Amino acid sequence: MKSATIVVTDPTLRDGSHACSHQITIEQIQKYATAAEAAKVDYLEVGHGNGLGASSLQVGLSLVPEREMLRTARSCLNKTRLSVHVMPGFATIKREIAGAIDLGVDLFRVGAHCTEADLTQRHLSYVRNVGKEAWGILMMIHMASKDVLLEEAKKMQSYGAQGIVLMDSAGASFPSDVTEKIGALARGLDVPVGFHAHNNLGLSIANSIAALEAGARIVDGTARGFGAGAGNAPLELLVAAMHRLGYKFNADLYKILDSGELAAELFAENLPISNAVTIVSGLAGVFSGFAKPVIRAAKQMHVDPRDIFFELGKRKVVGGQEDIILEVASELARKNSSKNS
Amino acid sequence: MPTKIKVAIVGTGNIGTDLLMKVLRSPWLECRLFAGRNLSSPGMMKADHLGVPVSSKSIQAVVERRSELDLVFDATSAEDHVKHARILRDLGLLAIDLTPAKIGKMCVPAVNLEECLQAENVNMVSCGGQASVPIAFAIAQANPEIEYIETVSSIASRSAGPATRINLDEYLGTTEEAIQHFSNCRISKAILNLNPAQPCVHMQTTVFAKIARPNLEKSREQVGAIVKDIQKYVPGYQMILEPMIENGRLAVMVRVEGVGDYLPKYAGNLDIINCAAIAMAEAYAQKRVGNGKAEAKNGFTP
Amino acid sequence: MTSRIDLVRQDAEAVVAKGFAPLQPLANSHLFISGGTGFLGTWLLELLAVLNTKQQFNTQVTVFSRFPQKFVERFPHLGQRKEFHFIEGDIRYLTELPRETDYIIHAAALTDRRLFASNPTMVGEVNAFGAIRILRAANLLDHLKKFVLVSSGLVYGPQSMDIERIDENYTSGIACDHANAIYAESKRFAEAMATSFVSESKLPLVTVRPFAFVGPYQSLELPWAVTDFIRDCLTGCPLKIMGDGSTVRSLMYASDYAFWVLAALAQGKSRSAYNIGSPEPINLLSLAKMIGQHFTPTPEMVTRVGQSGHEATRLVPNVEKAKAELGVSVTVPLPEAIQKTITWNIAK
Repeated sequence: MKSATIVVTDPTLRDGSHACSHQITIEQIQKYATAAEAAKVDYLEVGHGNGLGASSLQVGLSLVPEREMLRTARSCLNKTRLSVHVMPGFATIKREIAGAIDLGVDLFRVGAHCTEADLTQRHLSYVRNVGKEAWGILMMIHMASKDVLLEEAKKMQSYGAQGIVLMDSAGASFPSDVTEKIGALARGLDVPVGFHAHNNLGLSIANSIAALEAGARIVDGTARGFGAGAGNAPLELLVAAMHRLGYKFNADLYKILDSGELAAELFAENLPISNAVTIVSGLAGVFSGFAKPVIRAAKQMHVDPRDIFFELGKRKVVGGQEDIILEVASELARKNSSKNS
Repeated sequence: MPTKIKVAIVGTGNIGTDLLMKVLRSPWLECRLFAGRNLSSPGMMKADHLGVPVSSKSIQAVVERRSELDLVFDATSAEDHVKHARILRDLGLLAIDLTPAKIGKMCVPAVNLEECLQAENVNMVSCGGQASVPIAFAIAQANPEIEYIETVSSIASRSAGPATRINLDEYLGTTEEAIQHFSNCRISKAILNLNPAQPCVHMQTTVFAKIARPNLEKSREQVGAIVKDIQKYVPGYQMILEPMIENGRLAVMVRVEGVGDYLPKYAGNLDIINCAAIAMAEAYAQKRVGNGKAEAKNGFTP
Repeated sequence: MTSRIDLVRQDAEAVVAKGFAPLQPLANSHLFISGGTGFLGTWLLELLAVLNTKQQFNTQVTVFSRFPQKFVERFPHLGQRKEFHFIEGDIRYLTELPRETDYIIHAAALTDRRLFASNPTMVGEVNAFGAIRILRAANLLDHLKKFVLVSSGLVYGPQSMDIERIDENYTSGIACDHANAIYAESKRFAEAMATSFVSESKLPLVTVRPFAFVGPYQSLELPWAVTDFIRDCLTGCPLKIMGDGSTVRSLMYASDYAFWVLAALAQGKSRSAYNIGSPEPINLLSLAKMIGQHFTPTPEMVTRVGQSGHEATRLVPNVEKAKAELGVSVTVPLPEAIQKTITWNIAK
């Protein structure tokens, strides 16, 4: 099992977009991408937190237009391949995917909520038909059983996905959940399986290790965990753990540690931390990227952000549904005011 | 009792069957033909039980019964409508297109019903379009300097069948085009979320706008007024968040609960298109019959 | 002598009394049963009648059947109940379900082995098209909580003689191209179709795979070994066993069958299949003896009535999954089941 080389995907410049309200700068891209190339990361993922075409009022406007982000990253990378996240419903083939292909993106990770894989059929097929690499992503995996996840993953495989990554977008999973789900996919699929952790319950590294032990051959990590909510599995810790456990991987340990130090400087203002809001987000099983919009709405409408999260969790909202935050916050504000009157 | 005009429905799937139930309830419309390809489909059998003339000859049945008809609803597929549109134009029959073909004039009753009465082919845009275009229009009326409009819809996963899913990109494009067209705002974006929660969620649409100096009061006025207009033909349409400014954007939220004529109530997204199509047909009926501002039960007065 | 109605009601009350907690979710709900006037359907109604009368379940039931009028006339104690609504129809042409439906048991199918021989095309049509129709209709419901597909233990293919009990993951090959294959294939198709609906629209599906049963309401005309034996005894004929009597089966009493199906509806995990039947094997010779001993004089038993070289077969389910996940158990042991069935058949 440890004979396979583990592929390391680094979405620091994509998931990290959530951490800084999508205000990643050209300079940050240049500096970090250069360091990632030097550290021999297999794939570097760049773009808005919700992927291609997601710069919006719904999720947040990017500081730098998508084309420039990708162009900048592309120019800094050589051996490290450039990856983008794609969510049908936000991104379209004609407008976003075709453009990204022209800009030299190597890998398209096309994602859907964990029960909606069939939304990715055309996008995955399109990418494969033009000769680029395509993986399928299942998001919010705590909301589906291993049987459902396997069935959805198989659909993506049939559409041409060359890898399937399970994203614990809410950071709500425990190691035993990950072992069960990754294990089911590792046994049931032909293509390699990967895991993308979030740290809302402090389990990002433990979960990532469980995934590797259960047969995952792809793992996501971000520098200093720079990502949504309480962040992802910190890449430095992930690589250190793989190093200690005897996994084979291409990344250079020292250079990964260096890029971690660089990230601490570059993203100093928005390094993810664990706090009341991110913990409740994980408990409520809500998309990690909701943290900042929830805090903002809570402030404006004078309600407790934790109440907003638990209510969102009850309504089982999925990633991309940030507008519901407004409804929930307003309703809570109304309830509070009628209680007080 | 107003004289009814005679309609045909081509396409006997769930949408066509739900449309049939609405036609049967309408004081302005009479269904003279329910045509598809499969006499044993649930819709066909239901129509037959209800005494509605059915045919498995699809558009050919319309051709054969041209003299009996005043307008045709097309609930087949985009591909089929391309063929049907030509035939219906040659027959001189108003085509109300519920497919994504978008050949004719985009029709959003609360905004441009009057204009559509002159067209020979109108299309009902998309579910997100029907829900958000009136709101976008109202906001644009209140804020001429509007820079950008965005609409996000959430629908129940179960209300989106394989056909909807495979055409997701087209749906987004159509909805964006409609927003731009009706609000005169150059830049727009449409987003769609599918939520698998059980019990099924109702359709919910949020319209965001980027406006340098938004006039909140006027926006509330205009949006409030147009919501009332929509409710005349979409009874389950409800504003759940009135225009507000949050994080530098203007936001409005509506929810659409389906009537439940044939489609489940949670499929408000499918219901709103049917309701809009009926509103268009009833307005056309009223014009034809020359009754002016008659008080149709479900009719939306232009 | 206790009447037939009372005998069955006592059985229904007994199985409910043993523990109806797993069925609680069915209270105050609307249940649609296709094929609700068949063997299983009748027992389901008997149990639901007890749950409504004794436990105030207030479960409304719509029964879809080809011959509801006949049923209501034959069994007014069920047919006249206010909470049971009967619809006449052919499952091949079902288009819509009552909008208030919360639960569905799809039991409508052709299961008579004589029909497999004389009209296999109709068996295929009814079982396959019927499943498609009701699954499609189920997809349009506002608040469906669970759909139980009544499949068959025969979907597994023949059981290997050296396996004691087959569980839900068993499979042996079945050739699909001989006339007798139609029943198993139509049931397999129904399962594949149901699975497709789950994949596309996440229908909350539970599959049950029933094995073999005995009890009141089972027609003695049916060509099962147990019904043959009982009929032979009642008509004073010798008990005829085809082979040497070493074929192994198991039999579950009808009240347990119906209870387990209701439990699958209330407690079954979506996307799961459950074997339903008795795990206790019995060979045909012993079964014949067990039945014969209820009659005086003891009927003659004749073996090897069939062709020489008649191969013994085995069909016994492993039901641990149902027991673990549905909160059910076998409450009527086989000797009692046989005795009750004979008593009922003799009674008026």
